[in-house]
Amino acid sequence: MGDSDQFVPATDEAISSALDAMWNRHRTQILERVAVLDDAAAAVAAGKLTAVDREAAQAAAHKLAGTLGMFNLMHGTELARELEKTYAQESAPPATSAEHLVSLTSEIRILIETRKTG
Amino acid sequence: MIVEGSDDLSRKILIIDDEDDIREVCSLSLETVAGWEVIKASSGAQGVARAAEQRPDAILLDVMMPGMDGPATFRELRKNPATAAIPVLLLTAKVQGTDQRRFADLGVEAVLFKPFDPLTLPSQISRALGWN
Repeated sequence: MGDSDQFVPATDEAISSALDAMWNRHRTQILERVAVLDDAAAAVAAGKLTAVDREAAQAAAHKLAGTLGMFNLMHGTELARELEKTYAQESAPPATSAEHLVSLTSEIRILIETRKTG
Repeated sequence: MIVEGSDDLSRKILIIDDEDDIREVCSLSLETVAGWEVIKASSGAQGVARAAEQRPDAILLDVMMPGMDGPATFRELRKNPATAAIPVLLLTAKVQGTDQRRFADLGVEAVLFKPFDPLTLPSQISRALGWN
């Protein structure tokens, strides 16, 4: 990079604005991951969570944990980590934990749906 | 303006991650905060090929990917003389100590954690690679 082509870093505001645009592009995909967690919690409540469902829920929670904090939703990352840990167990969570799983998932959905931009 | 973690050199970084949103935010961070050139790959196999073609200065490698995962991709990179010396930083959302030790034992330069702050990712990379 020569003197005439000196790099000027983007401002925080410009980066924040770019992140908002990315958030809008990926929001649907992010909510699809939450839908996987909704289905898993419902299956836990019904005592019908299969190993495939559990692995899908673990993967969805893992991706949410990695993504949400980048968009200033660190609490969402923490909630997703708790879900990831639950679904990483070798056996299905007991039906008695369904209410807690539904609550964690709902909280993540609300955080996503109410994320403020700008 | 002094940017923490940047220097006078332009760097070329290869990002290997199957998640679109992570690749995009990484690119935004490295290109606009540090002014580095970014190459992207969405799978381990594609990443191995890109690394050999482009010879980046460093590789950011996701751990959990379908097909060839991060550790398997790292081993492929090390097998090829063209890519064996390129520093690799693992990028993971796994925070448990056992996972971290397992990743560190692979022989990568550093392990970085998701979620990362886009404003400070370049300085984390620079620190890990002694580029400051």
